[in-house]
Amino acid sequence: MTDDGFTADEERVLRTLLDDILPPSDDGRLPGAGTIGLAAHIVRTVRKTPMLRPVVEYGLGALADLAAKRSPGGWPALSKQERSAVLEDFTATDQFFLPAFLFLLYSGYYQHPRVVEALGLEARAPHPKGFAMEADDWTVLEPVRKRGKTYRDPS
Amino acid sequence: MSETTADVLIIGAGASGAAVAWSLADTRMNVVCLEQGDWIDPADLPGSSPDWESRMVGDFGFSPNTRGRREDYPVNDGESPIAVSMFNAVGGSTILYAAHFPRFHPSDFRVRTLDGVAADWPIDYARLEPFYAINARMMGVSGLAGDPAYPPKEVPLPPVPLGKLGTTLAKGFNRLGWHWWPSDSAIATREYEGRAPCINAGTCLTGCPQGAKASTDVTYWPPALRHGVTLKTRCRVREITVGEDGMADGVIYYDGEGVERRQKAEVIVIACNGIGTPRLLLNSRSAQFPDGLANRSGLVGKNLMFHPYAMVTGIFEEPLEGYKGPTGCCIMSQEFYETDPSRDFVRGYSFEILRGFGPVYTALWGMQSAGLPWGPAHHRGFADLFDRAAGMVVISEDLPDPANSVTLDPDLKDADGIPSPKINYRLSENSTRMLAHAVARGREVLEVSGARKTFVESPLRLAGWHLMGTCRMGTDPRTSVVNEWGRSHDVKNLFIVDGSIFVTAAAVNPTNTIQALALYIADTMKKKLANLFDD
Repeated sequence: MTDDGFTADEERVLRTLLDDILPPSDDGRLPGAGTIGLAAHIVRTVRKTPMLRPVVEYGLGALADLAAKRSPGGWPALSKQERSAVLEDFTATDQFFLPAFLFLLYSGYYQHPRVVEALGLEARAPHPKGFAMEADDWTVLEPVRKRGKTYRDPS
Repeated sequence: MSETTADVLIIGAGASGAAVAWSLADTRMNVVCLEQGDWIDPADLPGSSPDWESRMVGDFGFSPNTRGRREDYPVNDGESPIAVSMFNAVGGSTILYAAHFPRFHPSDFRVRTLDGVAADWPIDYARLEPFYAINARMMGVSGLAGDPAYPPKEVPLPPVPLGKLGTTLAKGFNRLGWHWWPSDSAIATREYEGRAPCINAGTCLTGCPQGAKASTDVTYWPPALRHGVTLKTRCRVREITVGEDGMADGVIYYDGEGVERRQKAEVIVIACNGIGTPRLLLNSRSAQFPDGLANRSGLVGKNLMFHPYAMVTGIFEEPLEGYKGPTGCCIMSQEFYETDPSRDFVRGYSFEILRGFGPVYTALWGMQSAGLPWGPAHHRGFADLFDRAAGMVVISEDLPDPANSVTLDPDLKDADGIPSPKINYRLSENSTRMLAHAVARGREVLEVSGARKTFVESPLRLAGWHLMGTCRMGTDPRTSVVNEWGRSHDVKNLFIVDGSIFVTAAAVNPTNTIQALALYIADTMKKKLANLFDD
């Protein structure tokens, strides 16, 4: 990774990795993570949270190396099943990359307007519009009121 | 070097420092407050931005260790099962708190007498009650009068909405015949003292851009400043200095540019809470106080109490609209609050029903705690969780243990080179048994409310919000750091007004009691001004 973004090798791994981890939903409502420009989100977030950078760099590099052992063409030459096998092999022995990467991925994916709208929500910040809530029916408190005082009086 | 001498110097502009500043302002004394953080511009709060949820684990995260702000100081909590949470700014941790605002119970001040554990407080509920009432008006507390778990109390504003989620859980509590009540919340539910009403945005834990939540930057500070209090931000106090007479005479601090400065003062009030206050006192060593200022009892930093939390989350069939409404405030149950000899633990706990999660947090929580898979099965798993989760936290009473402590880390320092605190803490057997009981009861009420599965996190690690007991109050200088009105036994012009002076922790959020105590201490100081330093 450079300060400007991912290297060409990392980009190659990243493009398919995003869709492998978060593919489109079966009904097509939710897009695959590789199709909504999350690489830029990941770069931005890593820039703001520098401690994530070595984990992401190491993980993408390790996946590329493992892929190269399977095929001379490396990661881009692997089938989806082969990529999944590489990813599962790697994450079985490395406890840091996947949680960090999923944090980056989920935090970008689930705030993306296409995804938020597909979930049935308005694609907007909570403030300043907020959310309307219906008036409550406080008769639900009657059983509690009927019990009377429950606190202990030390005097 | 500052040439002026403050009549009263307050260190820390959070929950308690703001309350004391406001109370002392009417004396027309020269009151100065030094705060290591800065004002938070509401426009900078995450709630107005689409990435607000992910910033909850970024620049507005709970932990000073991961947030990376200059004004934070790192805390070595690696040996504690509970990690320290705090925020440093004008308003302190009230910027990020849930604003859940219960009072202590009358019994909480008499645990030795009633249950034979820990120690009684040197004051009682009746002593604090008028200050709880003032605080309710100043902070703008919403709720519903008539809670049978408390003596009668005034609640100035109507309660926060139950919503579908709260109503669902309330009916579950009713089915079991258990106590519940709408939470007392420091949230303006209608326009109040210039504050806009809550719009149910659900961003409370990243700050309230609406200004409805009662952080002290929008409650106590504006009138305190209008009445002449001086607030200096980005000023981090390194140590309190003492004169030859053994009285505190000022502080040495670093300004925002890291330049060392001095502020002289006649009276010093520490308001840095349960970690920051012992840290400051232990960093204030001198020939007269070689073990740290005001520490002749040896109790500065001892008896650290958190509230051990557990989180029990139920997954329901129907959408609960849980992303709407104040995040941490909905309903509270105190069915298991008091000691019951039939149980295998002493004292008790509260249940606090939270709201649900937004999309980002659903995915992150699901990944960490609910087995949400990645890959082709992800979307089905996510749909199973999103807007179907109702969270409940258990807040259990921690009892004081001298082995649980705040000391100075030999290596760790903040950006100004000031030694940082180290936490030594273990969960007691009593807390472990209490949490197990609470988790079982939590599952029971969620299931009877309709949850089809539940998930448990116990103890909850990132829940060290409530920092208490490290400079306890009492009448005996051998067993306490400050007296019954917050004055140091050892240094007669030094006061502590924050959670560090708690004798016990109760089983509710402490901010309301911290502020009531601060107001009570300030009021006592005013009444004793003519003989403030006398024995």
